[in-house]
Amino acid sequence: MTEPRPKIVGFCCERHGMDAVVLAARSGKQFEVSVRLVQVPCTGRVDGMHILRSLEEGADAVFVLGCLEKNCYYDTGSIEGRKRVGYVKQMLSELGLEKERVEMFNAASSNSWVFPEIVAKMVEVVRKFGPVGGEKR
Amino acid sequence: MMPILVIGGGPAGVTAAKSLVDKGGEVVLVEKTDSLGGRAREWTCKGLVECRNCGVCYAIDRAAELLTQPSVEVLLLSNVTFAQKSEEGFSVKIKSSPRYVTDDCIGCGKCVAVCPVDGKAVFPPTGSGQPRVHWIDRDKCLHFKKGKCSACAEICPTGAVDYEDRARNITRNVAAVVYATGIEPIEACEMNRLGCGRYPNVISSVDAEKTLNEKGRLARPSDGKAPKKIAIIQCVGSRSVKVGVEYCSKFCCKYATKISQLLLDIDPEVNLDFYFMDLRTLYEPQDEFKVWAKAKKTVKLIRSMPAVIFDRPDTGNLLVRVASETDLEIHESEYDLVILSVGMRPHDATGDIAKSLGINADQMGFAATTSDLEKSGVYVCGAVTQPMDIEETAVRAMAIASKIKTREGGT
Amino acid sequence: MNAKIQVVLCKCCSEMPKLLNIARLEKLASESGNVLSVMTLDGLCDGKELTQIVAEARAKEIDRAIVLACQKKDVSPALIKAYRRAGVNEYLVGIVNIREEVVLPHTAEPERAQTKAETKLLAAIARSRLLQPLERSSEDMKTRNVVIVGGGVAGQAAAREAAKYGVHTIILEKTGKSITAPGVVMPRARLIGGKGYGGNFELRIKVGESVEDLGAASIVVASGGGWATLKGALAKTVKGALPLYEFYQKLQLDQVPAGTVVFMDTPDPAGKTLKVQDFAWDDTLETAIELKKKRPDTAVFVVFQEMRASGLSELAYKEAAEIGVKFVRYDRSATPKVDPKDPTVLTVKDLSQGEVLKIKLGAMVFASIPASQDNQIIAEALRIPMSPDGGIRRGSIQRGPVSTPKPGVFVCGSALFPKSRDVAAAEGEAAGKMAGEFAARGSIEYGGIVAQVTQEKCSACLTCVRTCPYEAPFIGTATKAEIRVQACQGCGMCVGICPSKAIELLNYTDDQIMTESKTLLGGDF
Repeated sequence: MTEPRPKIVGFCCERHGMDAVVLAARSGKQFEVSVRLVQVPCTGRVDGMHILRSLEEGADAVFVLGCLEKNCYYDTGSIEGRKRVGYVKQMLSELGLEKERVEMFNAASSNSWVFPEIVAKMVEVVRKFGPVGGEKR
Repeated sequence: MMPILVIGGGPAGVTAAKSLVDKGGEVVLVEKTDSLGGRAREWTCKGLVECRNCGVCYAIDRAAELLTQPSVEVLLLSNVTFAQKSEEGFSVKIKSSPRYVTDDCIGCGKCVAVCPVDGKAVFPPTGSGQPRVHWIDRDKCLHFKKGKCSACAEICPTGAVDYEDRARNITRNVAAVVYATGIEPIEACEMNRLGCGRYPNVISSVDAEKTLNEKGRLARPSDGKAPKKIAIIQCVGSRSVKVGVEYCSKFCCKYATKISQLLLDIDPEVNLDFYFMDLRTLYEPQDEFKVWAKAKKTVKLIRSMPAVIFDRPDTGNLLVRVASETDLEIHESEYDLVILSVGMRPHDATGDIAKSLGINADQMGFAATTSDLEKSGVYVCGAVTQPMDIEETAVRAMAIASKIKTREGGT
Repeated sequence: MNAKIQVVLCKCCSEMPKLLNIARLEKLASESGNVLSVMTLDGLCDGKELTQIVAEARAKEIDRAIVLACQKKDVSPALIKAYRRAGVNEYLVGIVNIREEVVLPHTAEPERAQTKAETKLLAAIARSRLLQPLERSSEDMKTRNVVIVGGGVAGQAAAREAAKYGVHTIILEKTGKSITAPGVVMPRARLIGGKGYGGNFELRIKVGESVEDLGAASIVVASGGGWATLKGALAKTVKGALPLYEFYQKLQLDQVPAGTVVFMDTPDPAGKTLKVQDFAWDDTLETAIELKKKRPDTAVFVVFQEMRASGLSELAYKEAAEIGVKFVRYDRSATPKVDPKDPTVLTVKDLSQGEVLKIKLGAMVFASIPASQDNQIIAEALRIPMSPDGGIRRGSIQRGPVSTPKPGVFVCGSALFPKSRDVAAAEGEAAGKMAGEFAARGSIEYGGIVAQVTQEKCSACLTCVRTCPYEAPFIGTATKAEIRVQACQGCGMCVGICPSKAIELLNYTDDQIMTESKTLLGGDF
C-alpha cells in the first residue's frame, strides 16, 4: 500500500529562499517530488489568503521560505512573512486544522542542507496528520 | 583596456573583482582551487531564523555573482607561474590545470560513489563553492595513473567527464595586480594541541564549521551521536608564545560565539562551556554574548584557558582541566565534544610570485600593502595583510578596487 | 485574451534527456491556448541560439515568453535583451526553473518529475496570460551631490573616494574644526530632516542657526562615535578626565600632567552604557606605549573588563606589558570607583591578583567611543533604522557591508559600531565608492514591478506607510494611499499587509500568484 502523496506548496522568495533551493539541487540533494514552489519577490508579499487558498485547493501543508531575519534583502520582509504565517496558524486552529501544517522558514544562500530538511519536515507533518480532508489521493 | 589581475578567489578576491568591473572594467581572476568562495566555502551560516552577521553567505553570493559577469575571466585550478613588470603594467603567465569535468555536470555525485580510489579521485566543488561542478585530481585518478578505469565517465548521466581536457598555459598583459591569497588555519590538530588529532571527540573549529555547513548539525566523531555537553576553547594557536602565533586572529571570538548561539538554536538543551581569555566579539557590544549566555541557563563563560585535556576511552568523553581565574583552584569538567577555535595564518605571501611582484611579507607572513607597492601597480588585499573577518575584508577590497579604478584607467 | 506566448525549452537545463521527455513538453506547450511558438534549443548560456529566438518571436508576433531553463541569474540578462529586440516587454518574459526545481532533485522518479515539469509549464502559461507589460521610467538626478554627514576619519575618507567619481561632495561637520577634504566642507552643519529617495533626496540642514535646504543624489552617514563627550559617573567625579585623542595631542606637545596615568575603558563602568562603549584599543595601546617610553618612571595603568586589542594589536598589548604598563582587569561585581570626597584616587579590584588597588591619579584617560547622540537625529531625519546599542543599523549584508536598507544611503565608521580609525577609514572609502558611483549615474531608473493602489478600496489606515522601509506609500491629497514609484523596490510588503486589499504588486497580484499555485496543485505528481 502506498502512502498518499503529500501535496506541499512552498512560497519562496527570489533571493536567499530560492538560492537555498538552487544550492541544494546543485549539490545533488534530492527531495520529495510533490513539493510545488511559487516564487515571490519577497516573503513579505505573501498574503494569508495565498496560504489558505492553497489549503483549500489541495495542499496538505504550506511553507513560506525567506531570507534570514535582518538579512532580508528588503530589510523586514521575512519578518512580515513570519507574521502572516503566524496569523494563518491562529486561523487554522479555528478551522480545525493542525497549526503545524503551515510553517515559516528562513535560510541563507550558503546552506545546501536546509531546503531538503524543510521539505522533510513538511512531509513528516503530512504523514503525521494525514491529508487535509482526510481523503486518500 | 587592459584587465586587472586578481590572484585569489576568496571573499577579498571576488569582492575586489566585482567592484572592479562595476563601472566597466575587466578582470582576470586566478584561483588555485576548484571553485570560488575561499575559506568561507566550508564555513557555516550561523543563523537559523535570525541572521548573525557572520558574512559567509556574502562570500558565497559574491562568488556566484562573479560567474555571471561577462567581463570577468575566471580561471579555476590555476596558478600564476610568472609575473614581470612591463611598460603598461605586468606580463603574467598562468597555468590552468584541467578539470576533466565540463559544465554539463549536474552535481549528482554518482561519479564519487563509483570511484574506486581510496580517498577518491573525483570531488564535488569544495563546500558551498561556485560553480557547482565536480573535478578530477589527475594525480590520484587511475585513468591517468594506470591508463584504465573510466568508471566515472561511464556512470555520468550527462557525459560531463572529459579525460581529454588539457592544461592551458595562458599569457595575459594586465594593468595592475590585486593579491588576495587569504588565510590558512593554524595547524593546531596537526600539533595535537589539547588532544586534537589524538582524541576523536576533540575537533577544531574548522571541522565544526565544515560539518555544520554540510549537515546542519554536529555529530561526535566517535559514535555519530549528537553532542549534549560541549566545550568551546578559544585562542588555540593564537595569542601564544609557545604554540602557533603571537598575534590575535581577530575573528575567532566572533565566529565561536555565533556558533555557540547556533548550537543552542539547534538543540536548546545542549550544555555549552565557553573557555576564553578576552571576549573580542567584533563590532558588537562586548556584553551581548554575556547577556545571551546568562539568559540561556545551560551556557557558561569561563575566563580561563584549559591546560590539559584527558580522554575517557570508554565513552570518548573528554575531561578538561582548568585553573579558575578567581579562586585559583583546579577544576575538571567532562564533555562529550570539545571544539578548539583555531586561528589563522596568512597564506602564500612569501613565495616566488609574491616576490616577483615586489611583495614583502613580514616574519609572521603578512604582506601589507604599501604606497610604493601601489605605485608599482600591486595591491595586497584581505586577510593576507592582517587578521580580519569577512565584513572587513569586503570593505577593504571595495576600497582597494575603487582606488585602482580611479587611478589606473579612470572611471 | 490576446496573449501570444512563445515557449522555449532549454535542452541543456532539461539535461538528462532520459529524465525529461522534451517531446511531451513540446506537445503540451503547443496544445495550450495562446501558445503560438514552441522552440527547443540546445542551450541558452552562450547566446548563439538567441538570434533564433528573436527571429521566431518576430515572425509569430509574440508578446510574451516562457523559458524552461535554470535559475534566472545565469540566463536572464542576455535573454531579456534578445526579447527586447524582438519587441517583447521584459516583464513578460518568465523563466521557469526546471533545472533546479525538477530535473536535479528528482532523478529517481522520472515519471513524477515529468508530470511536475508539465504542471510547472501549465502554471507558467496560466500565469503568463494574466501578466501586464510594465515600463520602467527614468528620472534625472537634480544634483550630483554626495552629502556626507560627519567630517571625521570615515567621512573624510568617504569624501576623498566619492570625489573621484566626478561628483560633488559636501561634508556636514557639526563642530567648527577645520577639515581638509575635496568638495565643500560645511562647518557647524547638522542634518535635521530629509525626504525623497535615492537619486533625489531633499535634505534639511542647520548651519549655525540658519536652516537650509540641500539636494543630494546619495548620502553617506559617517557621524562617528561620541568620543569627545565623556558621559558617566567616573568622568564626572574625576578632575581633569581627558578623551584619548586630547591626551595624545598633549603627549606630542609634552604637556601631559605629572603623575600616574590611568587609561579607563569606560567612564561609566557600572552603567548601562557599557553595552555600547568600545575601546579604540589600537590607539590606546599606542598611546600607552609612547607615554611609557617617554616617561619610564611614570606608572601607567590600563583598566578594563575585556582586553579587546584584536588582530595585530595583540602585539602592542604584549609590548606594553613588557615595558611595564600595568593591565588591571575588573568585572561588574566590583567596578572601579572614585570617592567624590577624594577624587584623586581610583579604587579598583584587580581580578587576576585578587587585590584592591588604590591608584593616585595624575590623569585619567578615556578612549571609549559611545554611540553618538546625533545618530538618533540622523536616523529620524533619513528614516533609517538604528541598532539596539545606539548606532545606525546596516541593512542586509546582501546589499553590501556599508549599505543601509535605503538605496542611496550608506553608512560607515563608528556610526555603525565603534571601531579603530583604520577600519573606519576603509569603510569610509567603501561607502564613498558606493555613494560616488550611485550619484555618478546621473539618473535613476524606477518602475516595473511596483506597488499600485486602488484608491476606492483604501481606508487610509496607514499600515502600508508604516510597513514600507522605503517610504514609497504615502497618504496623498485625496486622503488615500499613493505610491511614490521612484522609491518603490517591488517587495510587496505593503501589498501583503494591506487589510483592505487596496494595493497590488504588478505582475505579482493575488490573482497571478494564486492562479500559479492552483495550477500547480492541479497536477498529479
